[in-house]
Amino acid sequence: MPPMSEQLQALVRLQDIDFLLREARDPKIAGQEARLGFAQENLGPVVKARQRLASQIDGRLLQTYERMSRKFVRVVVAVEHRVCQGCRMSLPTSTASRDSSDVTLENCQNCGRILYRI
Amino acid sequence: MTSATVVARKPTAIEGLLRSGLYLPNLQSKRKSSVLEELVRALVPAGVTRHPEAVLDLLGQREALGSTAIGRGVAVPHARSMVIGERAVLVARSARGIDFDAPDGKPVHLLFLIVAPSMEHDPVYLQLLAEIVRAIRLARTRQRLLDAPDFASIQEVLTHAADE
Repeated sequence: MPPMSEQLQALVRLQDIDFLLREARDPKIAGQEARLGFAQENLGPVVKARQRLASQIDGRLLQTYERMSRKFVRVVVAVEHRVCQGCRMSLPTSTASRDSSDVTLENCQNCGRILYRI
Repeated sequence: MTSATVVARKPTAIEGLLRSGLYLPNLQSKRKSSVLEELVRALVPAGVTRHPEAVLDLLGQREALGSTAIGRGVAVPHARSMVIGERAVLVARSARGIDFDAPDGKPVHLLFLIVAPSMEHDPVYLQLLAEIVRAIRLARTRQRLLDAPDFASIQEVLTHAADE
């Protein structure tokens, strides 16, 4: 298996940060953590880190990610035992590839999410 | 004639995740950032992740939101990421203590690193956080963890404390 492209790695990190920010902004989840003693109030530096990371990602790829983010909580999903962990559908042996500049990515043929092999 | 009723004990989330390979009895690093690096490095041979730099980056972002030190010498750095293959709890101690931006200003001697895959709904993750916070609330439990001679003792103390 080839190593993840740098672009896909950056996209995975971006999604992780997005999820972190989403939870920090969610009053229910942030409240649960706060009651345990974990504050999540300082969003500014994380938002800036997100901007820096986003600027390193190929424009078309970022656009696709942002667009799909409106539909899915997770745009980039893991593949386990040839099953897309987004829609839980089995993937064919050869999954579809899509080129975005010099980045080749795999998409789930069922839901369209970007696939990531852990 | 009376019959004894045996109530089955519900296992805690933490006890199923404690592993000797995820125990660092004496951290060498002094600074918060290098401590996080030392913790994350230990996840790789344990098979928890193959991308430690991404985990470290995310933990750093989580700390930027607010310190995961909760006072009384304890920190619980935690994050969920795409690059984590399975839930894991790493227990670590620091004899000299670490400045972890704790709310009470005290150095941290006990650390519990919690990592998990980023699933949309994962009640176990929050349960783990709650169990650890509950487990270390008593001074005598914290002291027993600091004095524990080996991983088996740590495991015993944590399992019973989380259950109390």
